[in-house]
Amino acid sequence: MPAATAFRGPKRKCCEMMTLTFPLSRIEGHARVVVDVRDGIVQSAKFQATEFRGFEYLVKGAPAGQMPVIVPRICGVCSTAHHVASVKALEDAYGITPPPLALTIRELLMLGQLLQNQATSLFIFTMPDRLGVDSIFDVNETELDGDALAGMAARALQVRQAGTHLITLAGGQFIHPVKAVVGGVTGGISAEAAAAMRSELADALLVACALFDAYWGYSLALSARLGTWGDDAPACYLTAVSGTRPNYYGDFLRLMGCEGGDVCAQFPACEYRVFLTVEEAEYSYAAQTSFQGHVLRANSLARANLVDSLGTPCANEYLQRFHREFGQPAHAILLYDLARGIELVYAIERAMEILAGPLEGAETRIPYTPRDGEGYGLVEAPRGPLIHHYRIENSLIAQAEFVIPTVHNVLAIERALRVAAERYITPDRANLELERAVGRVVRAFDPCIACATQH
Amino acid sequence: MKRFAVLQLSGCAGCEVALLNAEAWVAQYKLVYMPLVVSAEDVPEVDVLLISGGVRTDEDLYKLRRAVKNAQQVVAVGTCAISGGVANLGDRDEVRALFLAERDRPHVPRLLSKSHPVDAFVAVDLYVPGCPPTAELFMAVLTNPRDFQASKVVCQECGRQKLKDVKPAHLLGFQQGEVLPDVCLINQGYLCVGSSTRGGCRAPCPRAGHPCVGCRGPSDVFIEKESDVWFKSIKRVFASMTDAPESEIEQGLRSPQLAMFLFQFSDYAGGDRLPRPKEKVL
Ligand code: SF4
Ligand code: SF4
Repeated sequence: MPAATAFRGPKRKCCEMMTLTFPLSRIEGHARVVVDVRDGIVQSAKFQATEFRGFEYLVKGAPAGQMPVIVPRICGVCSTAHHVASVKALEDAYGITPPPLALTIRELLMLGQLLQNQATSLFIFTMPDRLGVDSIFDVNETELDGDALAGMAARALQVRQAGTHLITLAGGQFIHPVKAVVGGVTGGISAEAAAAMRSELADALLVACALFDAYWGYSLALSARLGTWGDDAPACYLTAVSGTRPNYYGDFLRLMGCEGGDVCAQFPACEYRVFLTVEEAEYSYAAQTSFQGHVLRANSLARANLVDSLGTPCANEYLQRFHREFGQPAHAILLYDLARGIELVYAIERAMEILAGPLEGAETRIPYTPRDGEGYGLVEAPRGPLIHHYRIENSLIAQAEFVIPTVHNVLAIERALRVAAERYITPDRANLELERAVGRVVRAFDPCIACATQH
Repeated sequence: MKRFAVLQLSGCAGCEVALLNAEAWVAQYKLVYMPLVVSAEDVPEVDVLLISGGVRTDEDLYKLRRAVKNAQQVVAVGTCAISGGVANLGDRDEVRALFLAERDRPHVPRLLSKSHPVDAFVAVDLYVPGCPPTAELFMAVLTNPRDFQASKVVCQECGRQKLKDVKPAHLLGFQQGEVLPDVCLINQGYLCVGSSTRGGCRAPCPRAGHPCVGCRGPSDVFIEKESDVWFKSIKRVFASMTDAPESEIEQGLRSPQLAMFLFQFSDYAGGDRLPRPKEKVL
């Protein structure tokens, strides 16, 4: 593990300001955490995005019709979500609705995205924290309990690959897919291809469940060792799915207030400014969102809190167990990771259901006439609700706005970092566990910096 | 066991994610540095250093210069590392002004005036174009680039048939209307540039019914030449395969999404440098 360089500073005297800087790894993009301490009291904990992507500027003047190919390049981890959101925004502007088969194939695309992302986050980003190694590719060399860990990297990659294959099948290629087009998708999926994919997913399901069971166990052990599941103060939750059998293709945004209970607001993407306040931070290239002055949270835990049942056998069993053991709403941040595992299982099962139905033969796209105007596209990306908003003039993008899920989590990340910092910093010492805690906190939110820095 | 590292500069991480799909390296190579998946502070001594993303901040530049010192072989992977990539869409004066305004934010790395290619600052041994390069290409880089078998252009890998007697009267752009299977997309009026794009990707896009946008860059014939040589040649392809008016072809091909890929070896890399030799391009 890299040591936080600031710990090597001169001995702390009284009344001294101390700044601890933590570089971050095993997250998507470039960011760091900076904790300011005075006289052993934590003054602030900041999450700094240190790269700037600026797509809101880059795409100005681009032909609107090319957005579905350009914007996936915002992020190679969630390119599918951007691809689909982009097509939806254009369709909203042009006033068209694609045929049902196209919508089904796009749902498959989003499930592939979910599967690929949750497998990556769970096994590649956060599993090493549970095992005390630097990377999952080191696991084979460590002397941990044999069976559960044997060939873990290969099995984790197998699950992840089932997701990338699903995206390839539904999207043409798994990074920066191309098959969703304005008006529909470029084609259906043949029965043979669907059957082959189903059997690959069936294999992946077994592996995923076994790995997730192990992961659940390690997480319990971790929280027992630490004596905490991390920041568990109430927060508001934001997602574009709810109810039963959630569809990540996305329709409305939903908000759960700090008191929990039912959805307190449901609104279309075009009204997001009515409910959410987005502010810039001068110390970071990423902005921050809040809801009526409250800390907001998006991503897997928001969905686990708002979704009552998943409607597929294994995933639903995990979800019920989750609700039973941790409550609904559950607030502790390390539960984000467990919720991700439940969704991993759901993505596999739900994709298998869809692949069992006919996916060719019917109409896959409708003709349309592009027009100028304004459009919103909303999807539930793995990190939460993603909105693309375009204003089109003379067939060119006059203005684009990307409302990024990670941005909704920034204040929640900082609050959780502060909780961790206060736990491990006392007037006479900074516990080295803090460095690991910082990594765990940030990874629980699975932030994506390439996405979060567009304006 | 060969040791390799992946240095991610300003990009989308798609290149890294593609590498994860080339899982065969796990058993053969030791990955010692790749912040996306490994916690390690600095690039140690390695046999191969893969660099993705463009040089966009002063921090990128600092890391790049440090990392290459420890590498036997330096490989630029992906459009961003080769040309600065998608960020160059905004390489216009007004956008540049906005970016420069962003430089005033304190505490965060300073933005450079544009996204630079890696070889603007350090010597590169091998270029691997693609956005992102496929898993197969990554494996070829790690094992033996010389053994990699690829067609000259994407058309030869696409499997669609070019029909001599079907000539569309107009171009449909990139994605409008039904796509017939098996028939060349140009015959159907689409702006597919597979005929001058270097092969090796196995044509996933045209196979899936979407025109090739040229992310692998120009084929060997054009790679050392100015971009308008490529432009004239692709215009000739459309002139002979369609009945579309010249102005329509001209306009269709002047597309930002094509430009950022197809000019990655020439204009976009910064006009006044020598062309990169085709022997160094996978
Ligand atoms: S070349 Fe393409 S895939 Fe690679 S970092 Fe750049 S935008 Fe992403
Ligand atoms: S022009 Fe495009 S569709 Fe036609 S053969 Fe070449 S790659 Fe395939």
